Amino acid sequence: MVKVSLRNITKRFGEVVAADHITLDIQDGEFFTFLGPSGCGKTTTLRIIAGLEVPDEGRVLFDDIDVTDWPPHKRGVGMVFQNYALWPHMSVFDNIAYGLKIRKIPQPEIKNRVKEVLELVRLEGLENRYPHQLSGGQQQRVALARALVVEPKLLLLDEPLSNLDAKLRIEMREELKELQRRLGITTIYVTHDQEEAMVLSDRIAIMNNGRVEQVGTPQEVYRRPKNLFVATFIGRSSVLEGVVTAVGDFVEVKVGELEMKGLTTEKINVGDKVYLVLRPHDFMIRKEEEEVNELEGVVEWMAFIGGRLETRIGLDGGKVLISLDEEVDISLGGRLRVFIPWRNVIVLKA
Amino acid sequence: MISKSRLREIRKSLDPLIAFQYIFSYFYLILFLLLPIATIIEQAFIRDGGFSLHWFQKVFSDPDFFSLTPRGGMLFKLHGDTLYIWGIDHGYVLNSLTVAATVTICASIIGVIAALIIARYEFPGKNLFRILVLIPMLATPFVNAYVIGKFFQPRGGLLNFILYDVLHVLPWRIDVNGLVGIALAQTLAFYPIVYLNVLASLMTMDPTMEEQAESLGAGGFKLFRTITLPLSMPGLAAGATIVFIFSLEDLGAPIGFIGYSGNPLARKVMSVYIFDDFAAAVTGAISPITSAIAVILVAFAVAGFLAIKRYVTLKTYATLSKGGRWKPRTRKVGLKGMLLIYPFFVFLVLSASMPQIGVVVLALTDWAVSGLAPKSITFEYVSRLFTDPNVVRAISNSLIYSGIAVILAVILGSSSTYVIARSRLPGTDVLDSLLTMPIAVPGIVVAVGYFLFFTGFFRGTVLDPLIDPALLLIFAYSVRRLPFTARSVFAGLQGVHESLEEVATTLGATRFRSFFDIVVPLIAANIMGGGILTFVYSMSEVSTSVTLGALREDRGPITFYISQVIYGTAAVGTVSIAAALCLLLITVQVVALAISNYILKQRVAFLGI
Repeated sequence: MVKVSLRNITKRFGEVVAADHITLDIQDGEFFTFLGPSGCGKTTTLRIIAGLEVPDEGRVLFDDIDVTDWPPHKRGVGMVFQNYALWPHMSVFDNIAYGLKIRKIPQPEIKNRVKEVLELVRLEGLENRYPHQLSGGQQQRVALARALVVEPKLLLLDEPLSNLDAKLRIEMREELKELQRRLGITTIYVTHDQEEAMVLSDRIAIMNNGRVEQVGTPQEVYRRPKNLFVATFIGRSSVLEGVVTAVGDFVEVKVGELEMKGLTTEKINVGDKVYLVLRPHDFMIRKEEEEVNELEGVVEWMAFIGGRLETRIGLDGGKVLISLDEEVDISLGGRLRVFIPWRNVIVLKA
Repeated sequence: MISKSRLREIRKSLDPLIAFQYIFSYFYLILFLLLPIATIIEQAFIRDGGFSLHWFQKVFSDPDFFSLTPRGGMLFKLHGDTLYIWGIDHGYVLNSLTVAATVTICASIIGVIAALIIARYEFPGKNLFRILVLIPMLATPFVNAYVIGKFFQPRGGLLNFILYDVLHVLPWRIDVNGLVGIALAQTLAFYPIVYLNVLASLMTMDPTMEEQAESLGAGGFKLFRTITLPLSMPGLAAGATIVFIFSLEDLGAPIGFIGYSGNPLARKVMSVYIFDDFAAAVTGAISPITSAIAVILVAFAVAGFLAIKRYVTLKTYATLSKGGRWKPRTRKVGLKGMLLIYPFFVFLVLSASMPQIGVVVLALTDWAVSGLAPKSITFEYVSRLFTDPNVVRAISNSLIYSGIAVILAVILGSSSTYVIARSRLPGTDVLDSLLTMPIAVPGIVVAVGYFLFFTGFFRGTVLDPLIDPALLLIFAYSVRRLPFTARSVFAGLQGVHESLEEVATTLGATRFRSFFDIVVPLIAANIMGGGILTFVYSMSEVSTSVTLGALREDRGPITFYISQVIYGTAAVGTVSIAAALCLLLITVQVVALAISNYILKQRVAFLGI
């Protein structure tokens, strides 16, 4: 397995900066995800790691060896493309065996290894089918098998689940995680689906406009986002603007007429303008602990979704989205009082 | 100044395969296309070692080449009982332009009407007409004009006999010949090019475009003028321009008319001027005047080509040729419509297929010597294809040249299009233009260029046409017919997603390996399809065959042999052997089209843009 390091990777396509001085390390055996909106440069970064694109600046290191100028066929990575890229003129067997034939593995061993990998992805007996005879999920697994059979030191996955329907996507997600855990292979994953990233990854790099905004575990990027982009991109949230009135263990912020407290990771002074990021799920209808903010506002919108009450209330200083786990009796235009713990309020410098 | 990152990218692109393809493509096209043309331009602009417009001044001051006042000729002139329709002489340059413009306009009108009817109306027999209107595309070089002549001959011509002598419909006999004859023969031969291209545009047009306009109140001619015609402009522009270029460079029609009647006006076009001077070149030199004429010819053709360039580059073509994503709009025709449509098509098909019908009759009967109408069927002429040593040699020459030319065109076409489609090297746009350029370079100009360049710089080598023109004919065919292969392969490459190759390289395959393991099998049908078209059009290639091919008689291909028979003072009845050779060419074409349509399941817009 391998440790991947990116040093100052930059790539421009004309005016567009697809990768903007990206520096990060991906540990041996880690499941690492690039997450971001479409066009943020995550696929470009993955293709640079694979050797399919050359960066304008910067270096790619595999186990501290500079591979920036190595062609893709020398890098020993396995890659699964978004469209699977199965060769239509080859059977499942030939598709999977291709990498082994290139490596001049003897025929009997090829047969064994293809058989093993087909078992691994649960596609036994489909060797002689052609890609067009397979379902989307099966095609996806053939593509994965083809990448895995050469025992790559690094597995690269470019939105491999995005072409599957919702139910299959969740199934495959679990299988993929299980497989990766079993093989212990360093895996780099690209997706725009935050839930997928949260479920699969050891660590996530959140990208925007070619820049890596934050790298961290799923929990870190959710609870301790470094900036407003990360805070609003990961999970749902409401944002309020305010001015800092006191700094201590918690930051005190005045939002309109409202006094609120929250946590920050930044260095903040009294008088600074800040954003408060509030997650809908963190609100409670009862005051269950002492260190909570209290908000009261007019109900502007409400809906029952999957046993939860979702509502939006208008405050003096803005609007807040709230998701409650019980069906409280409220009505449009009525008033609602809710509570949110200080530790769950994220304070970010404006 | 190339940035460091650009250099890095270029270095990555230059794996051995791409490097070879890139260098090979440029080398081939520079040596066999650009340098020969450059040599003509050089000769035309140089006098006594310095730059000079002398030769052009000479051309434009000589009324034989360029005259704004008429210099004779007969247009609708009644003489005795015969109405002569020959055309008015304004010198080689203006004559060529007038003929080309007339042919372009007439072919466009016929082509657009035929395409509109086929694309938008439903009527019994439509599919039959759809194919029949393409008959003129079956090449019958030289013999077509001979046949038209035979129909229009004032005395003994079939048409005059029926309409004047028998039915007395016409008050006089009609003699169509000279420039008008050329224009007529070319219009009938070339209108399918406009038809096919406009038809392709109409079939790929989103039907909601027209439906939207109709819902807003546009109908009938207004709909056609404001929506349908503008949207089919790419097809019309491309088709019309190709017709214009083809007419300028055509040798078949004028030589046919010269051959059967010796009409002096049929000689007075630029292509024949160059051809005649070429005949004198066996001694070793082509006059600078001829080079100047060639430059003028190229200038007009290239001007036409540049006007439509954005419609004919590989990239545009590939999107255009995808076609039929939706069901085109059609409507049923009423009785009144049928009364217009059927006579139109019957008249068009009958008159346009005259040469092809005539060729079949000439080849299989004694028509050549029997006078007005054929009297008996004979296989004598067809059998000569296998027995007459000169004919057999011409056929085998053509087969060998075309076969090798196809292989070269396939290697060149797939190499260059792959570089264009997949690499980010500088110069791929230029390569794209070079690949389409042969459409705009008249064959006769290629011939002059090859002669000047290869006798000048390769004298005494195997590439010297005075020693052996065979190799040059092969190169000429491969370059002239390259666009067919290149387009077909490029369309195929567009259908092969780049990730199919990328995944192979991540699995350890080099570019070379992935090209042959993945790309080639997936575009095999396109390569075959393009190769077949290249073969067909190499077999029937005229311009370089009758010029370079004439430099050594035993190296002449089929079309050279036919031209000799028609042009020369050939023995009685030999024209029927020429017709038999045309029949052979027609057979090759029909078989090739059948293969690409039914076996390869391709609808290669044959001679499309």
